[in-house]
Amino acid sequence: MVLAVFVVRALSPAFVDEQLSGFSLPDRVQDTLTLAISVIIESVPFVFLGILLSAVVQVWLPHGVLARHLPRNPVLRRASISLLGMFFPVCECGNVPLARGFMVGGFTVSESITFLLAAPILNPITIITTHQAFGWDGHILVARLLGGFLIANVVGWLFSKHPDPQSLLTTKFAAACAVGSTSGHDAQEHSHEHARESRFSRTTEIFIRETSVIMPALFIGSAVAALTQVFVPRSVLLALGSNPVWSVLAMMALAFIVAVCSNVDAFFVLSFGSTFLPGGIVAFLVFGALIDVKMLALMRTTFTSRTLVQITVVVGLMSAALGLLVNYAA
Amino acid sequence: MRRSQISGGSQVLRYWAERWQGVVLSLVVVVATLWLGLSGQLGLYIHPRYFVFTIAMALVGLVLVSAGFARRRHFAVERTGRVETTLTGVGVVLLLVMGVAMVVVPPTTLTSATATQREVNSGGLGTDDDAEQAAALIGTGDFEQLSVREWVSLLAQSSDPAFYSDKTAQVTGFVTPDSNDPENVFYVARFVVTCCAVDAQPIGVPVYLPGWQDEYEVDDWVQVTGRFDLNASAAASDALAITPVEILPVDQPNDPYVY
Repeated sequence: MVLAVFVVRALSPAFVDEQLSGFSLPDRVQDTLTLAISVIIESVPFVFLGILLSAVVQVWLPHGVLARHLPRNPVLRRASISLLGMFFPVCECGNVPLARGFMVGGFTVSESITFLLAAPILNPITIITTHQAFGWDGHILVARLLGGFLIANVVGWLFSKHPDPQSLLTTKFAAACAVGSTSGHDAQEHSHEHARESRFSRTTEIFIRETSVIMPALFIGSAVAALTQVFVPRSVLLALGSNPVWSVLAMMALAFIVAVCSNVDAFFVLSFGSTFLPGGIVAFLVFGALIDVKMLALMRTTFTSRTLVQITVVVGLMSAALGLLVNYAA
Repeated sequence: MRRSQISGGSQVLRYWAERWQGVVLSLVVVVATLWLGLSGQLGLYIHPRYFVFTIAMALVGLVLVSAGFARRRHFAVERTGRVETTLTGVGVVLLLVMGVAMVVVPPTTLTSATATQREVNSGGLGTDDDAEQAAALIGTGDFEQLSVREWVSLLAQSSDPAFYSDKTAQVTGFVTPDSNDPENVFYVARFVVTCCAVDAQPIGVPVYLPGWQDEYEVDDWVQVTGRFDLNASAAASDALAITPVEILPVDQPNDPYVY
């Protein structure tokens, strides 16, 4: 099977040669495909890394060891969880399987949301690339880090007040979590059954199950991102750059449709630095790292649509507030 | 009878979606990535700084995918309802189409459709590094070494014709029309990529040549030689434009994007 696909690729035309084949796709279709493929090829390595780390948490580390070593106080606990990204630098697409692994491994729903929202920004790669792009100019780096930390913890705190956190999850994923955290007799039986299976075999099973959920979401998310890019004129957004309010909203809209990974988006947005006010840049860097079309498709594997709308609204409002603060105060 | 057929079919679909879909899609991406890497075309999609990481993770992925195919253990799936089955079916077809496209359609660069949509020179220019590099090259007096990117950053800083009067430019890029005066002005354009093709920003040097469409097609790759003059087109977006002395059709370079 693996060989067969290689053979198909090798036999397919390598270059566009219209004279030879007399066939070519219309430009817009071709560009949509190119854009979607580029997002997929860029993201998949991080998805694989995220799944591997998720398998490490579920299979190779003793059950619940991470959850046990964190502070008991809920606020401090979420604050420490929001720094976990420093040790798992997988960027936002890889964070989804990892966050799923954390929940199976004993984290609460609000704790996982905190991780999911904090880790794309509070991780070494993002910090280094943002610093490379902006240095200490205009407090962009500081605003991004503090803003990301604050938003993740506020959203985590809000969802910790939810009376029935399991209802925030898709029924399918909630069922998978229930299996992972069964206690007493069931758990013993469960672990006996697992003991008979090698760790590598269980890692393979996690890979099969996670890719079957994440890969379709990534494909669909990338296709939507590519279609939006080809058919929504970007000039509409760029005309709004110098207004303190509109620059923030326009950059958030851009971040939402461009769907660039958080550990490289600083380079991308750098080129807009001359057109947009710093608040717009900060809003892009904070909002875009947490929420975009591709991320929503990925998170939908785990959370209900209602939950995602709530998260998006809160993150959006807080990012906008942060951007406006930077524009007016700094 | 009929009912059991439907439920049998939906179980097969569900089994496919849960057991094989992820592995097959991963395989498609792994093969596409490795093949692009081997044929030197990965740069059409992502920035070179990710080449090593992407190839390494593709190899790791290949091991996991192979293990996924080789696994013989029992794989349990849940029973599902009719609506969900239909959705799964639609999704599976869509994904297979994308997967096949990824392996079969030849890789290519973005076209002028995207350049026009994103507006040439609306972003991706004017960083200090470009300007510094351009200034350094200006100092050497070898102006033909300056690329599209460097001319664009110079033009962003100064539109004084006197500054350019003694400097001959020689730039290579693809042809894309000036949206304000497509009859008389085209850009010699390149895409600047910072992460992957999805963030590509078109940049370009304007060339004034009425009736250019008779000789050149949009998306043709050309090398234009000439000096900058006041743009004779009143409608055009830029104050200056190259008056071409020579325009040579060229092959698309191996690295069509600039980073």
